[in-house]
Amino acid sequence: MSVALPVPVIQLLQVLTVALGAPGVTGVIAKVEARLQGRRGPRVLQPYYDLAKLFRKEALAPEGASWFFLAAPVIAVAAYLTIPLLIPVLTTYGLPLGYMGDILGGGFLLSLASFVVAAAALETGDPYAQMGSSRAKTFSAIAEPVVLFVVFTVALLTGTDLPYALAATVRSSAGQVIRPAHLLASAALFMVILHETGRIPVETHTGTNEFGMIEEARAFEHSGPFFALLKWGSELKQLILYTILADVFLAPWGLASTRQLGAVILAIVALLAKACAVGCVVAVIDDSFAKLRLFKITEYVSAAFLIAVLGVFTLYLGGG
Amino acid sequence: MSLASAVQAAPGVYEGVANVIAAVMLLIEFGMLRQALARDQIRLYMAQSALISVLAVVIAADRNLPDLYALAGLSAALKVVAVPLVMRRLLGRIDPDIQDEAPGVAGSQTLSPASAVLAGIVLAAFGFFCFGSLKLHGFAGGLGGNNGAPALALALAAAMVLVSFGLMIVRRDVASQAIGFFSLENAISLAALVVASGLPLILETAFLFDLLVAVVVFGMLIRTHHARAESLSTADLTRLRG
Repeated sequence: MSVALPVPVIQLLQVLTVALGAPGVTGVIAKVEARLQGRRGPRVLQPYYDLAKLFRKEALAPEGASWFFLAAPVIAVAAYLTIPLLIPVLTTYGLPLGYMGDILGGGFLLSLASFVVAAAALETGDPYAQMGSSRAKTFSAIAEPVVLFVVFTVALLTGTDLPYALAATVRSSAGQVIRPAHLLASAALFMVILHETGRIPVETHTGTNEFGMIEEARAFEHSGPFFALLKWGSELKQLILYTILADVFLAPWGLASTRQLGAVILAIVALLAKACAVGCVVAVIDDSFAKLRLFKITEYVSAAFLIAVLGVFTLYLGGG
Repeated sequence: MSLASAVQAAPGVYEGVANVIAAVMLLIEFGMLRQALARDQIRLYMAQSALISVLAVVIAADRNLPDLYALAGLSAALKVVAVPLVMRRLLGRIDPDIQDEAPGVAGSQTLSPASAVLAGIVLAAFGFFCFGSLKLHGFAGGLGGNNGAPALALALAAAMVLVSFGLMIVRRDVASQAIGFFSLENAISLAALVVASGLPLILETAFLFDLLVAVVVFGMLIRTHHARAESLSTADLTRLRG
């Protein structure tokens, strides 16, 4: 297979891989989690069926909600689908649109998506949706310093804040993988990802217990295709964060370094495999720990903050 | 666009491993700082001691120092097995009714866990930047020659010393203070291993016997204090009694 793909096609494939692969990764995590609990669990393809069912249903909006209530899920999904253009999903080399934003640009898009969903929840007048969005904003604000320090580590390591540059640095030698700054930043990022995707030390992913709900409560009033977009959005966000962890920090191997069709297909398979591997680790954590009480989340975040700060410290002295 | 132009040079793999071990030891120190129960603190102390033995093996392999293997074995036997065993027996004998936890240990924190960690970060930063300003880069006798690695591991050890001091200050019970003191010894062993790994075995062993003295002293302290106050908490020592 020596067909060289045009660059725009590869760029499109990055978005399509994330868009179509995300529900599948969620399905794999749900399956693994169920098997670990001794249940049979849903089909791996169940999230796709859920989305297909919801897209066929009728959409309702609460009385008094403005157009923004319905626009928010669309804006959120659009933001999530823009991020795969900025990060190394399939290729080691930067694609033309890859340099239109750096890590902070991706972070802004993630925050924008979460902001519009929270703002739409405020439109509803439903106490649970409002409580969920208020909590989500509070806790993502306290997790923000951790993300900043991870970005500082990347900047000190590479002199830039482009995700492609960090992936290239990690690939360059074994010494770059084993250095404490890299490992500490990856660990801190992983803890933030558990926090941001609403996984167990912070939030029960599948539960309907209002006391502990953060992210899940925000979509209470949405229905039909708009609810489907929100669900799909959170699956997209999960796969995007896993991609950043795997392709930028932990294992930037298996990416296509040429434009050959075979290499790109291999990269798609490798990405989904890596995301499922991260998902399996997350499922094990989900099944081994109890959910933290809401006011204990600060302790969890302070641990992540400690790890991220130490990463920057070790670099400051030059040896890390 | 060349992406790798501004990349910081990474230290070699051995130095990387040594630095990672030192960093994980510092993280464990923070774990002890926020851990509420004495038995979990002892468990973390065991892990930290195991790591320092691993570090001794790594340095022995890297720098070809066979007597460090003996030191690693000795320190593992003493710090991973003997000291935790003695501490557990001591705390268990104090109150045989409560198998799990000696009185006065849980809830002896003066700061909430999150604030304790933030205070610890400040202490660690102080230690870090003090040692960073010593300009020890290129320390020829240290691990890995002149690539700055000893400066990092040494600064991590300094941070560990300060954090374990912090642990002894923010906890108001004798058991945690003892654990803090023992991990202080771990930090000093780390510094000694990194800076002066060629030290004669007899001196390194003498440090370990210092630890044994500390265990005896703290054992006495724990038993005496418990006999007088019916608790391990030092909160009621603030008022002098005639």
